[in-house]
Amino acid sequence: MQRSWFSRIVYSPWARPVLLIALLILLWQLVIVVFGIKPYLIPAPLAVVKTLVAEWPRLFRETLVTTYATLGGFALSIAFGIPMALLIAYSRTVESFVYPLLVFSQSVPKVAIAPLFVVWFGFGIIPKIIAAFLLAFFPVVVSTVVGFKSVERDMIDLARSMKASRLETFMRISLPQALPSVFAGLKVSVTLAVVGAVVGEFVGSNSGIGYLLQIANGNFDLPLMFAGLTMLSLVGVILFALVDLVERFMIPWHASQRHDFSATA
Amino acid sequence: MLNRIVAVLCAACALAAAPSYAQNKEKVVLLLNWYTYSEHAPFYLGKERGYFDQEGIDLDIQEGRGSGVTVQAVAAGTASFGYADVPTMMKAASKGAPVMAVGVALQTSPMSVMGFCERNIRKPEDIKGKTVAVTPGDSMSQIWPLFLKKTGLKETDFKQVAGDAQTKLNAVINNQADLLLGYVMDQAIKLQDATHKQVCPVRFADYGVNMVSSGIIVQKDYLKNKPDVVRRFLRAATRSLEESAKSPEAAIDAMLKANPKSGVRDTALVGMKATAALYKGPDNPSDRPLRVGAKNMAETLALLEEYGGLDKASAGKPEDYYTNAYLP
Repeated sequence: MQRSWFSRIVYSPWARPVLLIALLILLWQLVIVVFGIKPYLIPAPLAVVKTLVAEWPRLFRETLVTTYATLGGFALSIAFGIPMALLIAYSRTVESFVYPLLVFSQSVPKVAIAPLFVVWFGFGIIPKIIAAFLLAFFPVVVSTVVGFKSVERDMIDLARSMKASRLETFMRISLPQALPSVFAGLKVSVTLAVVGAVVGEFVGSNSGIGYLLQIANGNFDLPLMFAGLTMLSLVGVILFALVDLVERFMIPWHASQRHDFSATA
Repeated sequence: MLNRIVAVLCAACALAAAPSYAQNKEKVVLLLNWYTYSEHAPFYLGKERGYFDQEGIDLDIQEGRGSGVTVQAVAAGTASFGYADVPTMMKAASKGAPVMAVGVALQTSPMSVMGFCERNIRKPEDIKGKTVAVTPGDSMSQIWPLFLKKTGLKETDFKQVAGDAQTKLNAVINNQADLLLGYVMDQAIKLQDATHKQVCPVRFADYGVNMVSSGIIVQKDYLKNKPDVVRRFLRAATRSLEESAKSPEAAIDAMLKANPKSGVRDTALVGMKATAALYKGPDNPSDRPLRVGAKNMAETLALLEEYGGLDKASAGKPEDYYTNAYLP
């Protein structure tokens, strides 16, 4: 069926969220104008856009700093989280000792202990990476454990009956079956890593979007604050999309990659 | 049977209503600028000695989380009165927040750059080559460039690290930084309590940088609707500040009784005395506490326009931000 270029754009998967955002921004501007809301309560979207354009170099620079800390924390959570999850999934002993401790540690508010990291590691990027890591590693661990534990027993038994080695079983059966779950955890984790990096910046940093947010807050500069938040959200979206891209590449056969699904699964 | 039930219910209602008719005090919430420390002792003294009760005010003192939050809470009507940094309030007011200062407590600036005395940093020149901890976005970090200008220092003369309130203190205590920007009666006392080492602040006011600081702020609508409550509150507050200046021990004891974690008696006493010394402004030394001088406020506004991020176009006049009309 021939589609006009207009309907092709409107119905493409990327246009829909953009259209919704545009609609929300319009509504937001209308509410502010109609109800006469003061700028110290909520900024007008036009003011935020103006600030985004005017302060772009500064915003971009600070966003890069935060992104480095985010990526560092995310990398650490993969490097630490996946091996730990494998240990937990394959060893009852490790699971019974370690897993409850991990869950317990998750309830500790990172904001409360972040100042300690600055005391221990100084005012560099390290406390921020640690804060990002602490927030980001738990989803990775949980989803990886679930993934490896849900591998079909029948397949493993079949592999064993065909004299497959432990490594072969892992690489050909367990890993592919666990990957969808692992990637789900990675997607959650990358967005949490952004939050963690900003929390680290609130506590002790000379740069980054967290630093910018503090300055904006102290000056009641709400447009700048919202501009900073927009940049953070963009970083989250881009990183999420990157993880999704890697997922498409690594598990193209999985149900979540079928084209009938226009949303990322 | 029904008559008896109705009779009991009526008696219960009468009993419940009686106390409020007898007392009829105005419930007032005072939201402080931070967790309680020596600067806030006068209000606890006033509450304990009944100065507020005598004015028909039932005072509820609540701890705050920063002047910015307090200003926003007062603007939104969540708190009747706020005790907050007046320049911070002025910045919010210039952006449309409907708030006004009805009394300025600290008319000489408590801002300073401080470190342990053993580091021997007594004059601005000693700051060269040291590390200074600041909190980005707070009022001191914004006036810091003016202090540097007035004392001939440049940003390249020293190293700067940024962190939140707790991180600043940790940094100085753990030698990650030599100095921090703080108030002479707040962080100085906390540093001393934690380490038992003396702190030597270099005061901004000594080098020509004077902005008013904490004051009592109120929402403009509240001022319009309940001017009498504001007058009574300020009468009790002025009395509280005067009495605290005369008997700082009583003020600290009242504060510690209400909030035992708010300090250590000896050092809190030092803080209270340091605070009382700031009640007087440079241009009106004989006025009662809370009454600020016009020249002082004009200078504060000018500094905010120059260095504090106040947009000159929307700045207006000092009278837009404060009034002495409700003071005793």
